[in-house]
This record gives sequence, C-alpha cells and structure tokens, in this order.
Amino acid sequence: MKLRTFLILSILSFGLFVGVTLISARLPFPMTEQALAGKLVWQRHNCVSCHTLFGNGGYVGDDLTHVATKETPAYLINYLVQPPVMRPNKLAHHPALNEMDAVNLVHYLEFVQTIPTLGWPPQREKAEKDS
Amino acid sequence: MKLLKWFSFRGKGDKSIARKQQFIAQKISRRYCFSAVSFFALQSVVALLGSLDLVIPDLPSPIPFEFGRAIHLGLADLWPLIGTMGMVFFFTTAELNREIYSPRLARWQYWIVMLFSVSIFGTLALRIGNGREFLEGMPIFYVGICLALALASYNLIRTLLTDKRNITPASATMTVGIIFLFLLLLPNTITYRNPITDEVTKFWVVHLWEEMAFELTSAGFIATFYVVSGLAPRAQVEKWLYLEASMAVVGGFYGTGHHYYWIGFPAVWLAVGSLVSVVEVIPVGMLAIMTYKGLKSVKVRSNREKLTLWLLLSSVFYHLTGASLLGLFITIPWVNLYMHGTYVTSGHAHLALFGSLGFVVLAGCYYILSRGSEPTLKGYKRGVLAVCLLNGGLITMASALLVAGFMETYFWRILGMDFMEVRLLINPYLIMRVLGGAMFTLGNLLLSWRIFKAWQTTKYKK
Repeated sequence: MKLRTFLILSILSFGLFVGVTLISARLPFPMTEQALAGKLVWQRHNCVSCHTLFGNGGYVGDDLTHVATKETPAYLINYLVQPPVMRPNKLAHHPALNEMDAVNLVHYLEFVQTIPTLGWPPQREKAEKDS
Repeated sequence: MKLLKWFSFRGKGDKSIARKQQFIAQKISRRYCFSAVSFFALQSVVALLGSLDLVIPDLPSPIPFEFGRAIHLGLADLWPLIGTMGMVFFFTTAELNREIYSPRLARWQYWIVMLFSVSIFGTLALRIGNGREFLEGMPIFYVGICLALALASYNLIRTLLTDKRNITPASATMTVGIIFLFLLLLPNTITYRNPITDEVTKFWVVHLWEEMAFELTSAGFIATFYVVSGLAPRAQVEKWLYLEASMAVVGGFYGTGHHYYWIGFPAVWLAVGSLVSVVEVIPVGMLAIMTYKGLKSVKVRSNREKLTLWLLLSSVFYHLTGASLLGLFITIPWVNLYMHGTYVTSGHAHLALFGSLGFVVLAGCYYILSRGSEPTLKGYKRGVLAVCLLNGGLITMASALLVAGFMETYFWRILGMDFMEVRLLINPYLIMRVLGGAMFTLGNLLLSWRIFKAWQTTKYKK
C-alpha cells in the first residue's frame, strides 16, 4: 500500500464519519432555555464524576438518565437544595445547590429522559412500573 | 532475602556511553518525555487518593472527589499526549535522518502544551471546570492544547515536504496521527447545547484519540524501534505499516459506533459499532505476530533495549487482552446493554488506556531519555521490578473492577436490586482496587525514578 492510498482513505473515512455522526446526533425535541441552563449547572458542578448519563460518567452514584421518571421534580429539587448524607459516609452530604440551579438541573434531567436510548438501561421498564 | 539482594537499590543504575550525533529536535523531545513521566507519576498518586476516598467514609480532602477524579482523567489524557509529542519528534528525525523543519516551533509548542495542561490541573484543583468527562477543564485551555497540536502538525508536514522523495511509512504514519489528534480535539473546544453532540465529540477524544490517532503514533514508534533493535527487517515493517495504519483509521472511526449505542443514536449504530470493532482487532493481531516472530529469531542484547521491550511487550499483552478481546466482548450489543455503565467499563478503560497506550508511551520516553547510557545489571533489574509492579498492580486493579462490574451487572441490571445495596456489596472489590492501585503507584514511582536517573546520566552539560 502507498502513502497516497493511505491518505485518501484517511480523508474519506474522516469526512464520511463526521457527516454521518452529525446527522445521527439530532435531538428529538428542541431544548428549552431552562434545560440548557440546567446542563451548564451539571457541567459546572462536575456531576459526571460521580453519576452517569446514558451510562457515561462516574460509577459512585446512580445513573440519572431516567431519574426524572422515577422521582417527582419536587423530590429532586428538595434533594439537591437540602442534600442528605451520602451512604456509606456518616457526615459527608451530597453537594448542595441553590434553588434556581436545582430547578434548572431538574429541567435538564427531564429533557434528558426524553432522548430515546434504545431500551437502555434494561431495568427502566421495571422502574417505570414501580413508579 | 535473595530476591531483595537481587533487586538491591545500592550502586549505580546507569553508565554513560558514547552518544551518536543528535538532532536538535531529539534534544527538545527529552523535555517532553521528562514532563510526561513526571505527570504520569503524579497521576498514580492522585488516582490512589481518589480510590481511597471511595472506601474510607468521610475521608477529609482539600480537593473534593468529583474534581480529584477530573484531575486523574485529565492527567490520563495529557501525559501520553505530551510524551507522544516528544516521541514523534525524536523518531521522525531518526527515521528521516535529518532535522525537523523548525526546532524553534517545537520549543514554543512545549511551553504552550505545558502551560495549558498545568492550567487545566490547577483550575480543577480550585474547583473550576467544564464537567465533560475526560475533558473537565475549561474549553479555553483545550484551545491552547489544540494550538500546540496545530504547531506540531505544521512542523511535521513541513518536515516531510522538505524532501518528498524520502518520506518513510513510519514518519508519515506518526504525522497523520498528530494531525488526527488535532482534528479530533478541535470540536471539543466548543460548548454544545445538544447533549448528544456533547457525548459524541467527547468520544472523538476518549475513543478516537486512544484507538486511532495514538495507534498511528505508536505504530510509527514501534516500527522504528523494531527496525533499530533488529526485531524486524525494515522492508517487512514498511510493507505492512500503511495497511495496518489504514485499518486502524477505518476501524477506529467506525468502531466509535460502540460508544454511540445508547446516547440517542439510531439503532443502525448497533450493527456498525459491533461489526467494525472487529476490524480494530486486526492491526493488533498483526503487531502481535510481528513481535512474536521477531522475538523468536532475534536476541536483544542491550539492557536498555530489553527494558524498552519489556514495556512494549506489556503494551502488546494489554492490546490483545484488555483492549481487544475484552473490548470486543463488551461491544456485543446484548452484552453491552447490561454491562454498560458499570465498573466493567472502568476495568476495560484502565486496561486499554494505560495498559495499551500508557506502556507504549513509557517505553518511548524511557528509550529517549536513556539515549547515551546503558543500565547496569542492577539498574536493569530495578527497571524490570518496576515493570512487574506496574503489571501486577494494573491486573489486580482491573480484575477487582471487572468483578465489581460483573456483580453490578447481575444484581443491579438483571435482578433490579437497589443501586446503593449493590454498591455496598461490591465494597470489598473496591478495597482490592486500592491495593492494586498501591502496587501500581509503587511500580510507577520506581520506574519514574529509574527514568529520572537515566535522564540525569544523559543530561547535556552546558
């Protein structure tokens, strides 16, 4: 194989890959401003270090992709504003947010759960039945 | 006692030998490699403290876990990048037997990449970040890293174009690798509204850097090393290198599909991701066959080359096992459905990221920094001990994480038990991970010290 062939193959692969990826990455619904603000809260507080969305992130805390189907917004906001002690700790609390950040974050989590995940995570149906 | 005597820490570890003529780029590459090894040493310590935080309740720490983990992941990305920059300059000049286009640019590039890397770690320690896994630093700092990669790409392209008729496959492969590192990081300097695009572009670094761009730079280094050490004839290496590189590019790009399964992408990516992932394994198989044949036919005599080879062989082992076989198993969509988002992924990531890539970069850094010296028998044995500790630590860590992940898969995903109950069940394996991490850190510090001593022996006197 020659350098020219390798370069052409690389450029074509790259172009096609970027194209099909961007076409596939369309959102099912437009995102609201509050949900966008919530996304920035998620990023600013580095929530991904402990929690996963779509299964990607840290494994210390529960996956939050469909948390908005399992818990009510009021419960989630209260949890974030007045966080409980995190097991197995006896003193350390979950990081606290102010009310506006908490509301925005819950909007973001409500938006995330509308993104179709092809049946992942597998226990979602069971959770929905329980709720 | 005999074992301790064998690995005695007294006595000189390296002796200076006559050095061949060296290009300016090769001198500059030493600072990249030295910084990479220093960051690697720091990474183990940060990671060990983070893993302790998970198993010791209420452990006080000046940096909270969520930002400590971000520093660990940032280091895991950036130390191999900095080492690779040095390796590419060193081995490109070695391959072409001439100077790079602009050593001055290479010096500027070093200070730029260091400034922005340190800024990422510093701001994360101050709890300022952008919360995207593996890219937790502020986007502006990744603009700086992109600038350094753009300079490297320009410098390397101009170097190759200076004498178009003498472009070797290894130098071209490494240059393309650096260009892809730049192109794939570039979209990550933007903040996206769309969370799916956010996930996608993140994987262009998390997956494509490791399994495509770094594969190309590593392939160039390994090819050069095999030719220099006599493990493979140049003609044979050059015959296969572009084919291997092409498969790494195509397999790497479309194999990214296995990260797109559950992030809101159409179901066709389940087929694309799982089928193309098989292509990713082929170049690894070719590398393993070439290594096996070389080792069977040639005896490496120099202790320096032998120690480099130990590091490279470790990488080939994890390439085959942790990255390829385990990786392929968990890309099967029906398996991934249950195992994705558990500690299985973490176990695989440790084996693939450090096991495959980390060991290659360490091999390159050691080879470069020890040029002009030869380890004494004692120095060599200490190096081998460090490699053994790194391997033992990594296997212990990854095994513990995999068992924890399998338990999570069964109890949490299949039986539907409460997450926190399962978290308490897997605690013994997280403790085992800490022990593995401690062994790894010990090996890391020992090897870093070994490399530091080799660097000291070969330091230029002004």
